[in-house]
Amino acid sequence: MSEKVKKMVKITVDDRTIEAEEGAILLQVLLENGFEIPYYCYHEALGPDGNCRMCMVEIEGKKRPQISCDTFVEEGLIVRTDTENIRRVRRGILELQLVNHPVDCPVCDQAGECSLQDYYMEYGLYHGKVPKAEKLHFEKHLDLGRNVMLDQERCVLCKRCVRFTGNIVKTGELGVVERADHSHIATLPGRKLENGYAMNVVDLCPVGALTSKDFRFKQRVWFLTSTPSVCHGCATGCAIYIDHAKTKFEDDTIYRFRPRKNPDINGHFICDEGRLSYKALQENRLREARAESSSIGFEEAAAQMKKMVESWQGRIVVLADANLYIEELEMVQIFANRIGGKLHAPLDAYRDPAFEDAWLKSAMRAANAKGVERLGIDTSMPSSRGEVLLINFNHPAAGDVKARRQIDLLTHRPETFADLTLPIAAWSETSGTLVNEAGIEQRCEQALFPNDPVPTLMTWLEAWDLGERCLV
Amino acid sequence: MREVKIVSRRFDVPDVDRLDVALEHGAYKAVEKAFSMGSEAVLNAVCESGLRGKGGGGAPACGKWKLAAQHPDPVKFLAVNCDESEPGTFKDRQIITKDPHLLIEGIILTCYAIGAHDAYIYIRGEYHDFQKVLQKAIDEAYGAGILGEKTMGHDWRLDVTIHRGAGAYICGEKSALLESMEGKRGHPRLKPHRKEPEWYFGRPTLVNNVETIATVPFIVAEGPQAYRSYGTEKSPGTMLFALSGHVERPGVYEAEFGTPMMEYIERFGGGIKGGRALKAVIPGGASTPVLTAAEAAEARLDYESMKSLGSSLGTGGMIVMDETVDMVEALKNLLGFYHHESCGQCTPCREGTGWVDRIADAVVRGEAEAADLQKMLDISWTMNGKTICVFAPAVSGVIDAFVEKFGDEFQARLRSMA
Repeated sequence: MSEKVKKMVKITVDDRTIEAEEGAILLQVLLENGFEIPYYCYHEALGPDGNCRMCMVEIEGKKRPQISCDTFVEEGLIVRTDTENIRRVRRGILELQLVNHPVDCPVCDQAGECSLQDYYMEYGLYHGKVPKAEKLHFEKHLDLGRNVMLDQERCVLCKRCVRFTGNIVKTGELGVVERADHSHIATLPGRKLENGYAMNVVDLCPVGALTSKDFRFKQRVWFLTSTPSVCHGCATGCAIYIDHAKTKFEDDTIYRFRPRKNPDINGHFICDEGRLSYKALQENRLREARAESSSIGFEEAAAQMKKMVESWQGRIVVLADANLYIEELEMVQIFANRIGGKLHAPLDAYRDPAFEDAWLKSAMRAANAKGVERLGIDTSMPSSRGEVLLINFNHPAAGDVKARRQIDLLTHRPETFADLTLPIAAWSETSGTLVNEAGIEQRCEQALFPNDPVPTLMTWLEAWDLGERCLV
Repeated sequence: MREVKIVSRRFDVPDVDRLDVALEHGAYKAVEKAFSMGSEAVLNAVCESGLRGKGGGGAPACGKWKLAAQHPDPVKFLAVNCDESEPGTFKDRQIITKDPHLLIEGIILTCYAIGAHDAYIYIRGEYHDFQKVLQKAIDEAYGAGILGEKTMGHDWRLDVTIHRGAGAYICGEKSALLESMEGKRGHPRLKPHRKEPEWYFGRPTLVNNVETIATVPFIVAEGPQAYRSYGTEKSPGTMLFALSGHVERPGVYEAEFGTPMMEYIERFGGGIKGGRALKAVIPGGASTPVLTAAEAAEARLDYESMKSLGSSLGTGGMIVMDETVDMVEALKNLLGFYHHESCGQCTPCREGTGWVDRIADAVVRGEAEAADLQKMLDISWTMNGKTICVFAPAVSGVIDAFVEKFGDEFQARLRSMA
C-alpha cells in the first residue's frame, strides 16, 4: 500500500479529545473510539448512504443534528453524541423503524444479534402504539436463491444488501421497489440471487430480514461461541469466525462460518463455498483407529504404527496434506527425517482452476500451500516403485502413490481402509498457523472441544519423542 | 396594481406554439443579442436582474449559474425541471403548451451563458399530451436550424432532449431528478458539504425550473433593469401565480412580486366563489404551510412577506379554501398525497408519512383521541430537519400549520373519553 501522508487532527467528542485523520468519516471514528452510535445503513465496506438517519449527533455550530456517516473530520470539530435532544431524535426515528415491524422476535433468527433489539433496549422501551392488525404486511418467506431468505416485513430498508450486490459484487440482483412505507427489497420478477458471494448479505443485514437458509432455525445465537479462525477452502485464507455450540446432550457442533474482518485479505466478506465448508468438515468424521477393517484401541494402534515404521526403516514415503498447520508440518518434517522417510506434499492435487475468480477465490485449494513451500517440502508426487511403506498425513491424493504397506492418519472416513488407519483431529479441533498465498501468516484458534476428542497428529508422533516443538 | 406580462406575453396569441407564428411575435430575438453580447455578459445580466428560481425554493439563479459556468469541466449540462407535480401548481405546463418556443429560447440563452451544449427537459410522466406540443416545437426548431450543430447559424452546437419521468413527485427535487435521468430510482442525493453544481453522470449540471428559464429571454432582450423595475428589492420581477380552489376564475396569471395576495385573488380570481367567506389559503403549492384568512389579508406575493408569516412562496400556486372547507379532511387529503409520494429512502419520511396519514384518517373518522393528535405532532417533529431532502420537513410544516391554526376543528373531531 502506498503511504499517503495522513494528517491527524484533534476533535472533541463529549468533552473528550480524540485524534483522527482529517476527512475521515466521523461515524467510523466514533465507533473506533468506543462511542456507541446507533446505525443501520452505514457499513465500513459499503460506505455511507444516509438513509437510516440513526447516527445523528450534534455538531457545534450546526443548527440541526447531523448524520455522522456524512460528516467528515476536521480540526476543532466539536461533537456531542448523547444529549437529551439526540436521544429524542434516535428514539423518534427508531419508533418509525418499528411502526410496521412485525416484532416476531421469538421466531426470528436475528434475535440476539439484531440492531433493532439492541437500540430498542437503549432508546426505545415504549409500548407499541400501532395495533398489530394495522401494520403493513409483505412477503415473509421469499426465497431469494443461494441460501438467502427474505422477510420483507422485518426490513428497515438500509439497502446494505442492495449496495453489496450493486457496488461490491456488481451483479445487481437486488433493488428496492415501490415507494414510501410500501417500499421493499426484491429481485426482478423471475430472477434470483446468482453470485457466489450472496450469503454475505445475511451478515450485512442489521435485522432479521435476510437470513441464511442453511442456519435459520438451527440454533439461537446466544448459545453460540465465536472462535477466530481461517477458512481452509483455498489458499486465500479468509479470516472467519467459527460459530459453534455445545448444548445439552450434544457434542460441540459448528453451526456456521462467518467472515471476520481482515483488511489485508478478505475485507469483511467470504465466498459462499467457504462459508458452507463447515459441513464437510464435521460430517463423516473418522473417530476410531483401524487395523485393516477392524477397530482397535488407540494404544494398540500407536504400538502397531511404531512397529511398522521400525520394520520399514529406510523404505518410507511420507505424504503431508497442505492444509496442515505450519507447526504440524514442521513436526511431520522432523518425523520424516528421524525415520529416514522421504516427505512430499504434492500441490497439484489441490489445483482447481474452475473455482478461481478475480476476488477471493483461489485456484489453489489448500490453506497452507505457501507454508509447505516455505518449509522447503517437496511439492511433487513421489515416484515409488511400490516396495515402500506410505505414511499418509491426510493428503487427498494418497491413493495415487504405489506402496506395499500404508498407514493413514485421517480426519475423515476413507472409502477403503489401509493397513493401519489412525484418526486425527480436524483443523477446527486444534490450533496452529497458516500462511496464505500472499505470504500472510494467520493464527487459528482451537474452536471445538469434543466430548471424546480424537488424538491430534502431534499425539500420534509423541512415541518418537521429537522434542518440545510438539507442544503447540 | 400594474398589469405585467413577461413570461405570459404571447400566451394569448393563437397558435403561437407554431414556430412561424412565434417568430412573427418576436421569438428568438434575444438569441441574436446574446451572441453579440458574449456568454459572460448574458450571465452577468441574469445576475444583475436578481432572478430567483421559480420552482419553489426561490434561490437566486445567479449563484447556481456561476457554479456551473465557472467549473473547469468542458462538458456541462442543463437540466430543465418540468416535473411540475406540486399540488396546486400548473404554471410550467402553460409555458410548454402555450409558448414552447419561449422555453427553447431560454434554454439556448442559458446553455450559452454556462457553456453547456446539451440540455434535457425532464417532464413528468403525466404531462403526456403537453410533452407532444413541446416536442413538436423542438422538432420545428431543429428543422429551422435554431437548434442543432449551428445554433441560428452560429458556430455553436446545442441539442435539446426531452426526458420523460414516470410520475414520481420526488423527481421534482433536483438531485432525484438527475438520479432518475441517469436511469436510477428517483432518490434525492445527500447534500454536498460545499458549494458545488449538481452532477449528471459526474458532469457539472445546472438544474432550473421551466419558468426560470423562460424568464431569461426577457432579461437578455430588455436588460436586467427592465426586469428589476417590477417586483420588490429582494424579490425582483414577476411570477406566474396560479389560483385554484374556491375562486370564481381559477387559472394562471402573471403578476409582480409584492402584489398583495387578496388583491391578486380579487383581481384575477374574481374573488371567493359564490361570495362566501375565505377560510384559508395554501400560498405556494401544497407543501407550504397554510395561511388563515387573517394572514392572507396581510400577505404579499413575495418571498420575504411569506417567510415573515411562517410560510413560503413556493411555486406560487395558491389553493384557496372558503368557509365550507373541513380542515381536518383537507389535511387528510394532503397527507394521503404525501404518503403516496414519499420516495421511501430515509426512515422518518418513509414511515412517518404513512403513520401521520393513518392518524389523520382516524381523526376524520372520529376514532382518534387527544394522544393520537399529540403523536401526530411528535412524528412531525421527528420528520422535520432529519432527512436527506426537504420533503419530510415540508410535510411537517403542513401538519403543524393545520393543527396549530385550526386546532379547534381537530379537537372537535376527537373521540370524547366520556
